[in-house]
This record gives sequence, structure tokens and C-alpha cells, in this order.
Amino acid sequence: MSDWLTNPLYWNWILQGLSVTVEITLFGVLLGLILGTLLAVGDIYGRKALRAAIAVYVEFFRGSPLFVQVFIAVYAIPPLLNIQIDHLLLAFFVFGLNSAGYQKGYIKGAMQTILDDQMQAGLSVGMSKWQTLRYIILPQAYRIVIPSWTNEFCSLTKSTAVLATVGIKDLVSAGISIKGIEYVILPVWLLIGGIYLVWITGFSKIMDRIYEKYKIPGIELDMQS
Amino acid sequence: MTDYVMEAKHVYKTYRIKGEKKGDVKIVEAVKDVSLQIRKGDIKLIFGPSGSGKSTFLRCMDMLDIPDKGEIYLGDECLTVKGLDLNKARARIGFVFQHIYLFRHLTALGNVELALRQVLKLPKEEARKRAMAALEEVKITDCINKYPAQLSGGQAQRVGIARAIARQPDIILLDEPTSALDPELTGEVIDTLRDLAHEGTTMLIVSHEMPFAREVAEEMIFYDEGHIIETGSPMGFFNAPNTDRAKQFMDRIINRTTR
Repeated sequence: MSDWLTNPLYWNWILQGLSVTVEITLFGVLLGLILGTLLAVGDIYGRKALRAAIAVYVEFFRGSPLFVQVFIAVYAIPPLLNIQIDHLLLAFFVFGLNSAGYQKGYIKGAMQTILDDQMQAGLSVGMSKWQTLRYIILPQAYRIVIPSWTNEFCSLTKSTAVLATVGIKDLVSAGISIKGIEYVILPVWLLIGGIYLVWITGFSKIMDRIYEKYKIPGIELDMQS
Repeated sequence: MTDYVMEAKHVYKTYRIKGEKKGDVKIVEAVKDVSLQIRKGDIKLIFGPSGSGKSTFLRCMDMLDIPDKGEIYLGDECLTVKGLDLNKARARIGFVFQHIYLFRHLTALGNVELALRQVLKLPKEEARKRAMAALEEVKITDCINKYPAQLSGGQAQRVGIARAIARQPDIILLDEPTSALDPELTGEVIDTLRDLAHEGTTMLIVSHEMPFAREVAEEMIFYDEGHIIETGSPMGFFNAPNTDRAKQFMDRIINRTTR
């Protein structure tokens, strides 16, 4: 049985698929972090029009399926702009933009729990609002948000499965290809599912370590995961 | 050139708070036409019933609350002029909060050092040296690497004072520095303030620590309902306040502290 399990070609597909899944997830979380921070700060300090625009942005990315967002990016936007863009590149950005919609909420929530007193303290020593954000508010907010990032990372990793539908060779698309040749269904999907599981569990453990290492001594925060 | 380190001229500040019923808005006139002058080396103490607006006035002095009307001067510079760089002004004023407000993710040393690096732009060694000097001043050198949550209330407030004095500001404003502490911890903070007083530090203090006031304050200011009701020497207040309201208040406070 299961000759396919020893076929180096299949393992090549699986590893390439895994690397695409991992890259898109990590890049998505990172872009989401940068953009989510800007959105959170804009939502707290911006004028009404900016806050309204941010609300629309967030509702779009949280309120519509990632599947739809990926299809719009890959099939609707390039013809509209009359350009050709690599699907993988588009996928990177869709995941980042999507993640920003969620991370804005996490970061803003964390900022609001500390903003009042810490901003006053920052201003009182002569720092500007921006210096206080940079050196006081965000370093504390990010520490609080780490468990939410772990959730975000798990969720995004699994969401990369939609990329198989637009021809990107992710982990699921490797499974589809192997299944199409070998006509084994359960073992292939158990293997693919298992790889997700191992990667997500391992990475979550790393995130827990990071959380423990950087948490503010003497303050126990509620883990959300 | 003015003689004053700081001066408030006819300052007004009102704020709104939500009432008990939904949609109810209560307007609080916390500061109504308050004027005050502080010379170099002065120690003045503001006291009065809670909710009278003392803290709001003190926050106006640091422009943490922006006055509705009136002027605040730091030396010759008017802080209430629109468009002024308030950060530069606040760099010259120390502020100590009732609830301390240390930077929670930084050690005691980090709390004191940060503004020296980021505001005064001192080189690393210089900032470290001055931060250590400030921490020595408040006698807290044994826990410089502890985080705020690992400090006792009294230790934390002394770090708060070190953070305020490290920049060698022109004046230090202290908003009830001992009233959030357990009674047995107020002594160490008072000792620190007494040391500062003996070194000639210019201070405006909101406080009800009467024995301390009697010892170090040149002037006491009785504040109620957004006004300065009466100003005088500690001896004057302890012996015979001029106004009935101050008299009643002093009676209550002295009975409480000597009981």
C-alpha cells in the first residue's frame, strides 16, 4: 500500500505548498500588524471622515468572505486596471489587508485599556503624543495583543486553503494534485490536515513562549486563546 | 523678565460629566477665575474638599487640561497661546500623579531614564547617570530594576517623583502624591518631599498632609468650589483661618489627623 507516500515528487509538492502557506500567513500577519496599527491610531485620533473610512474598511474585510476578497483581487482588479499581476503577490496583499481589519480591533482595544493614564504620564515628562505612542502605548499594547496574534495566525494559516481555488500552489492544492493522481482520499487529507496541525501547534507554542518572555512582570493578562 | 517661575492669571475650566439618568449632562465649574504666582524656591500647598477642582487646576498648570479662559505662564512664556509647543514647556515642569502612572513596561530606572533620552536627548551614559542620581535622591537604588507592579505603593510614588525631578524642571506640581497610598506608606513619600523642600525645590502641591504643610509650606491655599477662598501662612490657618469655610474645613481635618 501507499507507494505514493514515498514518492519524492509528491513530497516536493507538499513542501512547496507548505512554504507558500507559511509565507502568505506570516506576511499577512506582519502587513496586518503594520496596517492594523495605523488603522487603530487613525480610529482613536483621526477626524470623523477618517474614522468613517476606517469603519467601512474594517466592515468590508471582516464582513465578506475571504474567498470573495481573493476572487476580486485575482480576477476582477487586474483586468480593471488593465495590468497583469502575479496571483501570489495579490494573495499576499489580500491576506495582509484582511488581517489588518481584524488586528485593528485587537490593537485598538489593547491601546484603550492603557491610553488614559499612560498618555498623560508620557506628556507630563515632555514627550509628544507620537513619542508617547511609540515608546509607551504601542510597546504595551503589542504585549497585550500577542495571544490575539496567535489566534489570527491560526485562522490565517487555515484560510490559505482558499488560494487553491485561484491556482496558487498552496498546501491544499498539493493534496488535490496527489489525490487526482492516486485516487486515495482519506489518507491524503489526513496527511495534509496533519501537516497543518503540526505547524499550527508548533508555532502557537513559540508564540506562547514569546508572550511569556515579553509580558510585563507583575501583570497577569488574560490569555484569550 | 518676570519674578515668577509660574503664574496663573484668571484661569477658568469647566467640564462635563454624565449624570445619573441617561442623557443627563452635568457641567462642573472646576476652576473659576483662579490666579496664582509662584516664585523660585516657593512651596505652596493647595487644600480643600474633594471634588472642589484642585486637581483640575493643577492639571491646567501643566496644560494636561487646557483652560477654557485665562493664561498660564512658565517664566516669561505664555503656555495658553495657541500653537505653542506644549511638549517643550512640559519638559520644564515635573508632574507627580495621585495614582502614580508609572510606565508599566519599564523598570524603575527605565521610567526615569526615558525622558532624559527622548526629550532632553542626552547620550546614554549621561542619561543613566542622571537617572541614578534622581533615584538616589528618592532613596530607591535597591530596586531600580523592578517593574512598577513589583514595587510597593510608596516605592512606586518615589519613582514617580524621581521621574519628575530627573529633568531638573523649573517647578514640580504634585497632585495628592500620598492620598492613593496605604497610610503606613505615606511617611516615606513625605520624607522624600521634605528632602526636596530642604533643597529649595519649587513645588506646588495639592495635599491634605497637614503636619507636612506646617513644616515646609510658605503658603497654604484653601480651595473650594473652583475658587481660591483663602491664602495664608500655615500658622495663620492652624491658629485662626479668616473665612468660616476654611475654619470648618481645618477643624475637620485637624480632628481627623490628631484623633
